[in-house]
Amino acid sequence: MSETLDQLFEGIVNGEKEIVEQKVNEALNSGMDPAVILNKGMVPAMAEVGRRFEEGECYVPEMLVAARAMQSGMALLKPHLQKEKLASKGKVAIGTVKGDLHDIGKNLVGMMLEGAGFEIQDLGTDVPPEKFVDAARSGANIIALSALLSTTMIKMKEVVDALAQADLPHKTIVIVGGAPVTESFAKSIGADGFAPDASRAVSTVQALLG
Amino acid sequence: MNHRQRVLATLNHEIPDRCPLQVSFTPEFAERLRAEIQVKGQKVHNPHGGGNTYELERLLGEDMLLASVGWANSYYQQSGDYTDEWGISWKSIEYQTPFGIGHYTEPAGHPLADDRQALDYKGPDPHRPELYKDAECVIRDFKDEYFIVGVTVTTIFECAWALRGYERLLSDFILNPELAEHILEIPYQYHLTAAKKLVEMGVDMIWTGDDVGTQNRMLMSPNHWRRYLKPRMANFIAELKAINPKVKVAYHSDGFIHPIIPELIEIGLDVLNPVQPASMDPAHLKKEFGQKLCFWGSIDEQHTLPFGTPEDVRAEVLTRLKTIGENGGLIIGPTHHVQLDTPMENFWAMVDTVTQTKYADL
Repeated sequence: MSETLDQLFEGIVNGEKEIVEQKVNEALNSGMDPAVILNKGMVPAMAEVGRRFEEGECYVPEMLVAARAMQSGMALLKPHLQKEKLASKGKVAIGTVKGDLHDIGKNLVGMMLEGAGFEIQDLGTDVPPEKFVDAARSGANIIALSALLSTTMIKMKEVVDALAQADLPHKTIVIVGGAPVTESFAKSIGADGFAPDASRAVSTVQALLG
Repeated sequence: MNHRQRVLATLNHEIPDRCPLQVSFTPEFAERLRAEIQVKGQKVHNPHGGGNTYELERLLGEDMLLASVGWANSYYQQSGDYTDEWGISWKSIEYQTPFGIGHYTEPAGHPLADDRQALDYKGPDPHRPELYKDAECVIRDFKDEYFIVGVTVTTIFECAWALRGYERLLSDFILNPELAEHILEIPYQYHLTAAKKLVEMGVDMIWTGDDVGTQNRMLMSPNHWRRYLKPRMANFIAELKAINPKVKVAYHSDGFIHPIIPELIEIGLDVLNPVQPASMDPAHLKKEFGQKLCFWGSIDEQHTLPFGTPEDVRAEVLTRLKTIGENGGLIIGPTHHVQLDTPMENFWAMVDTVTQTKYADL
């Protein structure tokens, strides 16, 4: 890997936005393939952030600033990537279910999936089931549901049921997470996947897509 | 043993006649309970204690009465959307349960989102005499019989993030430490002033704290906690104990905070709350820290109370009494205000098992 990509990787892991922007520009100016910049420099950096999070070597603040650095680099890279016609790994519609305004868990999952190369449609908080169905109809093949509360996590079943009844044109995967949500709860409502944290949401989705 | 003696015994690591009980409710659960036991309440129930008249608490046989001063009173302040005296705007959000429709209020707008606003901000005045009227009444009317708790929860971090924005403040910890320190200082000074006044007035314990745990890990690194919150909390506890060496201090954080418990003990903490059992094993905490620390809470509000059977609830209460409550050192109760999704039979299973089980019979 080139020195610039090494520095880009380090910049994202350390959450250094200015360095990331500088290194993305350097790499683009040197004529490096934008897909290589993304897949060899940036995606592995967010995967490393995820690994450190899972291992307890970093926490939410570090993840937030790393995602911010990644996003600022992506903003520079994106116009070039479109020229390359890079297919995204999948389109994720993510939201906190109806009755629940908590968003940090949802945001972290969105950031980590985006960092792994997925396209993200953020539906926000207090999202009714029909909005998830609309997103699936419009092309999202992964629906990600968040809830912080025992009083709202029961709404996840309504979304799973609404999606099942919607006669969608493509296979749609539903993943669920949030403080009170457990693997057995996820199974009981018919969700396809569960992850205990934002980092493992990425591996869960990747495994479900095969 | 009256209620007060029961709590004093358990906090002295002695075995009381039965385990002391403390339960709070969301306003809608309090309404449901008032209807069930035909008790009138004068206004919307404040789960943190400010403004309550304690009919429910006393009828249930609770042993501690709470009076709160500070930003936590902004929760459930009004129906609909509102802005509190800190300039934080709140949104009311409706949720459905099998037992009716409830509402949460959540901070939605953050007055210090802009860096420049943070430097010019002036918070509310903690010296206003009217803030302490509720505490004055509860001390005057009930201190002979009950253990009185002054509540200043959301002491530093939670109020600070509501002022600044959650992700923004967490990012400031890394990107803008000086600004983070400046913002944390605002609620810290307010709640310290309030807590000192409450101790001077004669409360038996101050309940302080901030949620710094998530379900299975700390929200922030222990090092960030050590840098930003521990020194303030150490001084907070020291200043209270300088006023009254006998005053107890309880610290609240939801979730997993195991790595910082030894340091909370080191800075003088007496009681850990709420001991969320899905995040930290209560029996293990008792073995590890029970010599030096008392506990408050431990009944699962995420699964057992809303979704378990009355028998599950009863079994959990008995397990807690025999483990984390062994030889005293526990004030038992749910790990959060009882919510509207809790079946009444589960609620009574908890209350009755606690109030009808003598330590001698365990």
